[in-house]
Amino acid sequence: MDIAYYPGCSLKQSSSLYDHQNRLIFERLGIHLREIDDWNCCGATSAGKTDDFLAMAMPARNLGIAMSTGLKEMVIPCSACYSRTLVAQKYLDHHEDLKEEINSGLAQKIKGEFKVSSILEVLLKTLETGTLLEKAVKKPSLLKPVCYYGCMMTRFPFDVPVPDDAENPQGMETLLKAIGLQPIDWNYKTNCCGASAAVNEPETAMNLMGKIMKDAVSMGANCMVVTCPMCQLNLDAHQNTFCRDQGIMERLPVLFITEVLGMAMNFSVEDLQIDRHFVDATGLFRELEETGAEKKS
Amino acid sequence: MTAALAFKPEKARTFAKEVMERSGQNLVACYQCRRCAGACSVGEETGYITPDRLIRMILTGDQENALNNELVWKCVSCYTCGTRCPNEIQTGRITETLKKMAKEAHQAPLQPQIAHFHDAFVHSGLRWGRVNEMEFMAFYELRNMIDHVKGKKFGAIFNEIKTQSTLALSMMRLKRMHFGFLSAKGRQEIKRLYKKKKK
Repeated sequence: MDIAYYPGCSLKQSSSLYDHQNRLIFERLGIHLREIDDWNCCGATSAGKTDDFLAMAMPARNLGIAMSTGLKEMVIPCSACYSRTLVAQKYLDHHEDLKEEINSGLAQKIKGEFKVSSILEVLLKTLETGTLLEKAVKKPSLLKPVCYYGCMMTRFPFDVPVPDDAENPQGMETLLKAIGLQPIDWNYKTNCCGASAAVNEPETAMNLMGKIMKDAVSMGANCMVVTCPMCQLNLDAHQNTFCRDQGIMERLPVLFITEVLGMAMNFSVEDLQIDRHFVDATGLFRELEETGAEKKS
Repeated sequence: MTAALAFKPEKARTFAKEVMERSGQNLVACYQCRRCAGACSVGEETGYITPDRLIRMILTGDQENALNNELVWKCVSCYTCGTRCPNEIQTGRITETLKKMAKEAHQAPLQPQIAHFHDAFVHSGLRWGRVNEMEFMAFYELRNMIDHVKGKKFGAIFNEIKTQSTLALSMMRLKRMHFGFLSAKGRQEIKRLYKKKKK
């Protein structure tokens, strides 16, 4: 099955490992990701804060391109890109004038039905069809994960169909339980990591990340699992700093969901590039690598 | 700032109307239950100003303070306030709107580095069609440096360089620094649309 794919800027740069992992695991799940041609930046939250027109026009062009492929669905693994694109689609459906104005300048117009999906929606579908469990043959049993969703997966600045519970999302937990893991219940799964504040207002962001970290540690987790490249980079790259400043002794690897599922699908640490984390994550999978794996019960 | 809010009827109508129209939020529906205040991610940082109080300021016509306060600039757009609002007011959209209105009113941002960041990001995305992380960070830091030099904050320059270069080095080590160049040819479509809109 083919599905349109929008990687976005960070998956081509600081989080290129996530792009790589998505391609690997979706291919194995029988889903061929077709990257849309000549896509542009979605504007992220910055466009929403500086220019309302650009905040719609930037993702709108990508939607037009995706719709012109003839495919019916596009997966967007980055939470910010996903949110901006979904919001633009629904907003323009309610504001025909603006849609017409933007369409007039686009080579590929927005028209017709089209589904913008988060990575979890697509993965959950493979669970329903049975493909995921067929391919996930191993259980990374050292993992005691907490699932961290952040903001953009469940909270939107416009009325859009929210794909999971806004206060207690379960998408990642469902996937991890299915492959035999026991994700830990905790309180900070939808709290904000500070996003761009990690750069432009570090004090605020470090404070927010410290709280997330303390809760994860106190619940007994040994890693966090995320879908958002911004959350991943923030919690991973700044972890030493905010833990040192706030007296937190523990360090937790921050894993992409694709890494956990990828290891379960028998890819290696090198295949998935898990060695590109700031807080080392390879140790969590050593057992799988060495013993050739405990079969999932 | 005093706790009592002054009612400025002459300003209240036009200002509140503009904020409501541009943000798409019905502020008069706010009945001050303050669930947003309890939900705010940056509540510790913004002092007196909580989302409900910001709404109250707008409704009473206190334009000056509404355009220039910690919440407007420190809001991280996590949208928790709006998700928990019983009247579906997305206050996150209000702070986003007020940032733009403050800029249009030529009001110096309370947190210049935050304004620089978002400007640099969107400019980079518009200029090349895709955001080049290193380029946009360079522009962002350049604008901060100019501010620091103007304000003679040389310690801040030193700290900024130290923090960013430490991060950059560890990113390079993990091959998470990208040295290639990203662009989208179709960026002209967006630039043309934007130019037409700005006319």
